[in-house]
Amino acid sequence: MPTFKLDEREIPFEPGDTVIRAAHRVGVDIPHYCWHPGLSVAANCRMCLVEVMPPPGRPAMMLDILTWDKAKGEYVPQRKPKLQPACQQAAADGMVVKSQTSEHVIKARSAVQELLLLNHPVDCPICDQAGECRLQDYWLQHQAKSKRMRDEPVHKPKGVVFGPNIVYDAERCIVCTRCVRVSEELAQDPVLSVRERGNLNEIVVSPGRQLDHAYTLMTEYVCPVGALTAVDFRFKARVWFLRSARTVCVGCATGCNSFTDYDPRSQKVARYRPRENLAVNKYWMCDDGMLDHARIHENRVLNGRVKGEETTRETAVQKAAELLRGKEGPKVGVVLSAEHSQEDNLAMLWLAREVLKTSLIFVSGRPEGVADNILRHSDKNPNSAGVAELVDVLPLRSFPDFEDAVAKGQLDTVVSLGSALPQPNSTAPSKVKTLIALAAHEGPWVQRAAVVLPASSWAESDGTFVNANGQAQVSEKAISPQGDSRPAWRLVSELGRALGVAPSWRKAQEIEAAVPKTARNSSSPPAPSAGANG
Amino acid sequence: MEPLDQELDESEIELPTEPMLLNVGPAHPAMHGTVRCVMELSGESIQKVDVQVGYLHRGFEKMCERGTWTQIFPYVDRTNYVSPMLCNVGFALACEKMLGVTVPERCQWYRMALGELARMSDHLTCDGAMAMELGAFTPFLWMIKGRDMIWDLMEEETGARMTHSFGRVGGMAAPPTAGFKENARAVSEQILKIIEEVERLLLGNRIFLDRLENVGIISQEDALSLGWTGPCLRATGLPYDVRKASPYLKYDEVDFDVPVGSTSDCFDRFMVRIEEMKQSARIIEQCIARMPDSGPVNIDDPRIILPPKDEVYNTIEGTIQHFKIVMEGLKLPAGEVYAYTEGGNGEYGFYLVSDGSGTPWRVRIRPPCFYVTSGLERVITGRMMADVVPCFGSLNMIGGECDR
Repeated sequence: MPTFKLDEREIPFEPGDTVIRAAHRVGVDIPHYCWHPGLSVAANCRMCLVEVMPPPGRPAMMLDILTWDKAKGEYVPQRKPKLQPACQQAAADGMVVKSQTSEHVIKARSAVQELLLLNHPVDCPICDQAGECRLQDYWLQHQAKSKRMRDEPVHKPKGVVFGPNIVYDAERCIVCTRCVRVSEELAQDPVLSVRERGNLNEIVVSPGRQLDHAYTLMTEYVCPVGALTAVDFRFKARVWFLRSARTVCVGCATGCNSFTDYDPRSQKVARYRPRENLAVNKYWMCDDGMLDHARIHENRVLNGRVKGEETTRETAVQKAAELLRGKEGPKVGVVLSAEHSQEDNLAMLWLAREVLKTSLIFVSGRPEGVADNILRHSDKNPNSAGVAELVDVLPLRSFPDFEDAVAKGQLDTVVSLGSALPQPNSTAPSKVKTLIALAAHEGPWVQRAAVVLPASSWAESDGTFVNANGQAQVSEKAISPQGDSRPAWRLVSELGRALGVAPSWRKAQEIEAAVPKTARNSSSPPAPSAGANG
Repeated sequence: MEPLDQELDESEIELPTEPMLLNVGPAHPAMHGTVRCVMELSGESIQKVDVQVGYLHRGFEKMCERGTWTQIFPYVDRTNYVSPMLCNVGFALACEKMLGVTVPERCQWYRMALGELARMSDHLTCDGAMAMELGAFTPFLWMIKGRDMIWDLMEEETGARMTHSFGRVGGMAAPPTAGFKENARAVSEQILKIIEEVERLLLGNRIFLDRLENVGIISQEDALSLGWTGPCLRATGLPYDVRKASPYLKYDEVDFDVPVGSTSDCFDRFMVRIEEMKQSARIIEQCIARMPDSGPVNIDDPRIILPPKDEVYNTIEGTIQHFKIVMEGLKLPAGEVYAYTEGGNGEYGFYLVSDGSGTPWRVRIRPPCFYVTSGLERVITGRMMADVVPCFGSLNMIGGECDR
């Protein structure tokens, strides 16, 4: 593999790589604002300037400049090498590049930083980006001085509503055009553009339009400063109080890798952020997925219920066991859920086989939805492929089969997992005589169930999800189970014990180990880094 | 009538002979701070003693591992609350050693002058309390009056009488006040006068001398093996003083002597402290003479020192600087360091481990009193119950230092 030298370090690169990309791949960070590994090169922020040494025997490209001579009290002509943006400079074999070791580069970065902050408002205390802001980090690393300008900064519009999800602050904007490129290249909707020149320029939405494509939150995510803020997250939390868990989005069958940022004090989830995984979602997530964290806290079933009356989980489990006792056999059905993890479904499968002695196993889930050819999948369940894989030795019956069986009176008693129905208007659940629902959210199953056991959501336990491409991915636990809820596999275990059969797994690690490994071809995602927005 | 000189042995009265177990503390008027002594007494003599520290239940070393390096200053204040300025400066010096920076000259003299005042306050408290516990109430009042002068001066400088939290990594929270030099000189002169009066009152007093001389002797070997430092070690005749042995700040540029004792008894420990106060006064005089009246107190490094408030409120650069230091904490380079200074009671050391983030990885404090107090058992075993008071007083246990 060809290599070039960056600050005395050999960096391997693939043909066609730029200097910054090759360095980024081996974990060397050349400071940058406008460059993003998932976007085209703009080379407008000038933060990644490096000094490329001329080939042996060739003169360096020099610029004539004037510098202030303090002793003489006047400007004197001088020469300095012309610096190159590392994001645009193609890597060549044997090339020698100086980044931190070049005094010209150090000076240039300091100057760039001074210019970027020239008109910046004193907004850190009220800015959502504070704590993960490039301007803050790079100022301390590369400038650490006050600006020399004493004039009133240029004032621009603040709090401009770009669309349903995004608010723009032109004063904070450094016009790196990352948001413009995300709209054009990722969302394929070039709705954003730059207006004016110099220190008057700002980002605008096309006349008559709103920033309302399916990936608007990615513009906020790539924004290296606090110019674009998400309506969803604006003024909700300060990022230094948040902790991150490495999770998988459960909004659809794509299984985008994400970070779940939560507040450990209140045990509430504040937002999702995409997590880089080139084999699944690259650097991105869709708006539906990004906003899906609301479901973790909305419409939750937090207590056990018997005939619609709230009760403790223990009472509900005992009542469910009472209803199930003596019913083992062919009149009992078990409904799995593509909404839930492999662990939860595996536990339900064990309940069907070992406790209820039935082979009437159905699968339910959320109804289909909008798809595109970027990330969004029409199957809005995160684990359809996983359930199909778990049940491959038994006949797996779909939801229409369930409706059929109910209509024919084949099912007397049903234990269901999950909250949603693939056909939202189906009346099948209400026709079952005895329905025991394990659910995290309010919905048709919970409404019609004789006994409800409160299951926890995906954010409250570790879980394996198999996406549409057959990639099994583990989503880490972020917060502790809300209310009296517990992971569904644990509820099944409690139910089994109440019926006198104990499962072989007791702990989370044991049931994780029991999940079949056949589909585990997921690429391992990189380690998390704070504020990793490229 | 029975003869008056009847010998007890011949009487029919049998005195019990098994030892008595007496529990003193942890909260007892005879104890300085919360410490517990379980004594096995035979009559009035102490056969065995078990000294137990740790009744403050603070765990401050663990507390240091959350938050930032700057947030540790209030904790170190409370290790030795009689001379918190010495602790403050000691910790600041440890962090600065890790960062490889040196504070401006003005700050160094300022730190030394404040530190020696704090040392006087420490010794005044110790010697005053010792005298009071032996019945001499007047010297105690005089010395506490002197200590109050120091505390008034500290209040003028820092805004707080006791726990100042005045040190900062890279400088001090504020520059010296306009009247500092004048006040410090006046206080130091007053204290020398008080010491003279106290000496006149106590050193010719038979009772006082009898209670201290040849009481609580410990050998130099024992003191060293217990890890003793400071006045208690110097009372054994060993002139170990961190200010001389490995000078920090400007201690190598000032003129002072290290007083030592000869018999290593309570009286020596009392006198070493008296002499040290006189030496402190000498050092203060030199610091005041050499401290510049103007110039920076804090080092000029935006990564370490907070910007002035009007810059924080009015410029984005100041806001960012403030934000980075307050929210993320100043970043000590990854690595470890042991830095030590002469505290009120001996070598006051910090062993710091940093992982390069803004949060300390480990802060180990070596407080002199922890080691000195561990020698109490050896000092009082075999002595009379009444000797506990001067012995314990002369060791000057500070509860905050003993707590882990």
